[in-house]
Amino acid sequence: MKIRPHILLPVFLAVAHLPVQSASQKPATPPSTSPVSAVVRVNSTNQSYDFARPWDKKSPYPRRGAGVILTDGNVLVTAELVANRIHLEIEKPLTADKSQAEVIAVDYDANLALLKPLKDGFLNGLGTMALAEGAKVGSVAEILQLENTGEIARTPATITTIAVGPYPLDSLSLLTFKLSSPLQSRDSSFVLPAVLDGRLLGLLMRYDARSQTAEVIPQPVIQSFLDRAQTSPYSGFPRLRVGYASTRDPQLRAFLNLQEAGGVYITEVQPGSPADSAGLRKGDILLKVDDRPVDQDGLYEDSQYGKILFTHLVTSRKTDAGPLNVSILREGKPLTLEVLPKPSDPTKTISESQSFDKAPKYVVLGGLIFQELSRAYLREWGGNWRKTAPQRLVYLDAFQSELPTDRGKIVFLSSIMPSPDTLGYENLESLVVTKVNGIEIKSLADLSNAAKSPINGYHKIEFEEDPGVIFLDAENVQKNQEPLARDYGIPALERL
Amino acid sequence: MFRLALILALIASASAWAAPVSKSLVRIVATSQEPDYLQPWSGGSVSGASGSGFVIEGNRILTNAHVVSNARFLTVSKEGDPGLYQARVLHVAHDCDLAMLTVDNPNFFKGTEALALGGIPAMESMVSVYGYPIGGDRLSVTRGVVSRIDFQPYSHSGVDSHLTIQIDAAINPGNSGGPVLQDGKIVGVAFQGYSGDVAQNVGYMIPTPVIERFLQDVKDGSYDRYMDIAVSYHPLHNPAMRGALGVKEENRGVLVGEVYKSGASDGYLRQGDVILSIDGLPVSSDGTVPMDGDQVEMAEVVERKFKGNKVAFDILREGKTMNVDVPLDSAWPFAMQANAYDKKPRFLIYGGLVFQPLDANFMDTHDPEDLRLRYHFDHFISQALHLKKPEIVVLSNVLADPVNAYASDFRYGIVEKVNDRTIRNLQDLAEAIDESGDYTVIEFAGPGRPLVLERKAAIEAGERILARYGISKDRNLTP
Repeated sequence: MKIRPHILLPVFLAVAHLPVQSASQKPATPPSTSPVSAVVRVNSTNQSYDFARPWDKKSPYPRRGAGVILTDGNVLVTAELVANRIHLEIEKPLTADKSQAEVIAVDYDANLALLKPLKDGFLNGLGTMALAEGAKVGSVAEILQLENTGEIARTPATITTIAVGPYPLDSLSLLTFKLSSPLQSRDSSFVLPAVLDGRLLGLLMRYDARSQTAEVIPQPVIQSFLDRAQTSPYSGFPRLRVGYASTRDPQLRAFLNLQEAGGVYITEVQPGSPADSAGLRKGDILLKVDDRPVDQDGLYEDSQYGKILFTHLVTSRKTDAGPLNVSILREGKPLTLEVLPKPSDPTKTISESQSFDKAPKYVVLGGLIFQELSRAYLREWGGNWRKTAPQRLVYLDAFQSELPTDRGKIVFLSSIMPSPDTLGYENLESLVVTKVNGIEIKSLADLSNAAKSPINGYHKIEFEEDPGVIFLDAENVQKNQEPLARDYGIPALERL
Repeated sequence: MFRLALILALIASASAWAAPVSKSLVRIVATSQEPDYLQPWSGGSVSGASGSGFVIEGNRILTNAHVVSNARFLTVSKEGDPGLYQARVLHVAHDCDLAMLTVDNPNFFKGTEALALGGIPAMESMVSVYGYPIGGDRLSVTRGVVSRIDFQPYSHSGVDSHLTIQIDAAINPGNSGGPVLQDGKIVGVAFQGYSGDVAQNVGYMIPTPVIERFLQDVKDGSYDRYMDIAVSYHPLHNPAMRGALGVKEENRGVLVGEVYKSGASDGYLRQGDVILSIDGLPVSSDGTVPMDGDQVEMAEVVERKFKGNKVAFDILREGKTMNVDVPLDSAWPFAMQANAYDKKPRFLIYGGLVFQPLDANFMDTHDPEDLRLRYHFDHFISQALHLKKPEIVVLSNVLADPVNAYASDFRYGIVEKVNDRTIRNLQDLAEAIDESGDYTVIEFAGPGRPLVLERKAAIEAGERILARYGISKDRNLTP
C-alpha cells in the first residue's frame, strides 16, 4: 500500500483506547536503560502551500508522533511527521512538559528527521536508546505506542521479511523490515518506534491493518542517516541512478550468451548520473557490485540479511567511502568500472520529486501565473493525479529523463487570474513556456528577467502548445499590477 | 463534457400509419457485428438495432451512418406494406453520420414519395420529427422549435464537428435517421441528443447543408470525406495581441495556432498568422463569417468544399497582408484518432504475442493506463509523431504459453525495432518477424530490456497457441 505523503493518514485513524497491558505488567527496568523512558511525544503543526495559488498556504493541520531520544540526545522521528512544519514541539509523555524544537537534519527520501529541543537540558533525566544490532528474520521486537495518558503500550512484532523496497515518496528504494504485529489504534500517532532488546530497531512508516503488517525504516537506514547528518549541509543517500531488469528469461540469456549464473540487464542510465559518468550503458549486464555477485533478479547474499537487492550496497555506503567496483558484461566481454555513487542533486532535476518546506516559486505577469513543474504540483490533483492532472505535464514529469540534459526547469502557465490584460486568454492553462520576449526560458528567474525587456511595448510569450504565442501590453501590465494584486490578494507578484 | 448519445433503438416491430409523410418514411432494422479490439481475430458480437430513414429521389433511402455501421444484414419496411425488404448500403459517411441505402426489389419503391430538401429553418420556427422511436411500434411524430443553430461535435466519429441544429422536440432512441420536416420539406435528419439526466429537451439534427454536401460528394460514385484545413485558430479579443500582430481593424481576424503537419495548410499557413478573410468573406475576431444572412463559424466555408477545391485566405503575416490559397488535396491526418467502422481490426500474432496498431478503437476497448501509450495517442498529430511512424504498433496482449513466459511485463509496449529494423507500421512488423534468424529481438520505446524469442520455438508455439486459444488465423494485415 503506497500512500502519498501529504495526505498520508496517521498510522492509526481512530483513538480507541484499548489497553492491552496493565501497569502492573510493566517491566521493572531502570529508567535510564528502559526503552520506554526514551520515548517522547512530538507535536508538529504543518501547513503546505497551495499550488493553485502559490502565494497562499492551505489550512494548517496537526500531527503527532512518538519520537525516540537517541544516545546523542537528539530525537528521531519520521520526516513525514515534520513535512511543511510551522511549529514543532517535544512533549514529555507523563508530565506534558513541552519544549519547542528544531529540525537538525531531514531526509524525505529516507523518511527520517532528527530534532533537538530548544530548551537547554529539557530531556535531562529521560532515557536514551541505542540502535539495535543483529536483527534478522524471526527476531521478535516490540512496537511502542503512547497512550493518551502518556503510558506506553507494547505490542510484540515479528520480523517476517527483510528486503529493499520503495519508500513513501517513491523516489528511492531502501532497506525495509516487514513486521507482523496485531496493533490497535491508539493516540493517532504518526510515528511509532519498534524496539528489539531495549534498542531501537526502526520507525514504522506504514501499517496495513488487514494483513497486520508493519513496514519499518530499519536501523541500518537510520544509522546511514545519522552518519550523514554529521556533515552539513545534509546530503542524501548515494545512488547510481540506473534502471535494471531481471535476466530470468532463458531466451534472453541465450541471446545474450550469458554463461554466468546471475546478472541484471541495465535498462536505463540517467544522463549525468554517477553511473553515466562511469561509463555504464543501457544493455550492459551487471554481474558484480563491490565484488559481490548479483543474481538474475539483482539480489546479492548479504551476511546479515540474506538475499537483498544490490542497490543496498550503494545506498548504505559511508560518506567517505571511495568508488565502487562494478563488474559488467558488455557485448560478451567482461569489464570492471569504478563508480562513485552520489546523492542526486534536486536543483539539477527537471521536475523535482518533492518540495517540502519550500515555498513554490511563481511569477505573476499581468494575471498570468507561471510556475516551475514539480511532482508536488501534479499531486495537487489527488491520488489519481497521473490520470487527472494536465496530461502534457504528467508526460513531461514522467519522461523527464528523456529530455535533453540542458532542458532546465519546465516553466508553464499554470492558471490565469482574469484581468484587463488577459482578455480573451481566460481558457489558457498548462502551457509550457519556450520563450519570453525572444529569450529562452529555462527557469522562472529567466522569465522574470525576460519580462524586464518587452519588445516594442509588448511582452511576447511563446508556448510549446497551441496557441503558440500570446502578447501582453507591457505598460498596461505595469499599470494594472497593483489593482490585480489587491483584488486577488496576491502579496507579492513573484517569488523566486 | 457530457457524451452525446446516438439515437438508436433496440428492435421492436413495425406497423402501419396513413399520413402523407408515411409514403416516404422507412423503418430500418440492422443486424450488426461490432469487432472486438480485445480479441481482434474474433468476428465480434452480433446485435440488432432499429432506426428510421426516408426515401429521396432516385430510389434511395437516407439515414444515419450509425444506424447501418458494421451492419451484416439490413431490412427496411414501410407504412402500409407488410413486406420486409433487404436493403444494401450505397454510401456511408462516418464523418457526418449519414448513409445512403437502396433496395434491389423494385416493388419496394412503388407508392413511395421522395422527400425534397428544404433550407435552414428559422430560429423559433416549428419543425416535426418523424420516425420509429421507443414507446410503441407505429410511426411517431413529435414537434418542437428550432432552439439553436451551431457547430457541434458529431459523436459518431468522435472527432468531427459540423453545422448542427438543436430542436426541443422529443428525440428518442429509434428516431435516428428519421426526417425533420417543415412545410413538407426536409430540414434535417435527427441523429443525437442528451439523455434526460444531462439536459432536457435537447435534440440535434443534421441540417440540409451537410445533407446536400453528402449527396454532392457521392455523385462521382464514392464518398471522399470532409475537407479540413487542419489548423487550430483562436479568437483575437485581446487588444495587446491585436496591437502586437498589427491588426488594425476592430473586431477582425483570428490567430492561427497549430498548423498540423501533413495537413492541408502545412506549408501554406504558419503559427502566428492572422486570418483576415476566407474566400473573400471577412472573418470576425470571434472566428465567424457572414453567410446566408447569419454569422456562422468560419469553418463552414471549408465544410462546403470538396477534394481538389481551394480555400483563399487573406492573412496578416509579420505585419504584411498576403493572399494564400490552400489547396484541399492532402490526406486527412486525424484518421487514427477517429472512431472506425466497417473495418476488421488489424493484428498479428507471433509466439502468442498479439500486436495491434494504435487507434481510437484500440484506446476505447483497452483503455490502457500506460502513460507512454496514451502520450503517443494524444500527441500523434500535434507532436508530429506520425511523420516518423505512420502507425504505432503495440504489443496489446500476451496469450500465455511457455514460449512467452517472461513477456507479460511488456504489455502495451510500443514496438520500436525488431531485429534492428525500425517498425513503422504493422506491415513492417510482419516482414521483420518473417525474416530468418535464430532470434526475434523486439525492442520497445523507452527504457527496458529487449524481448527475445527463439524463432524456432516461437514458430512451433504459434500453431499450438492458435489451436488452444481458438484463433483461426495469426494475422489480418488488411483493413
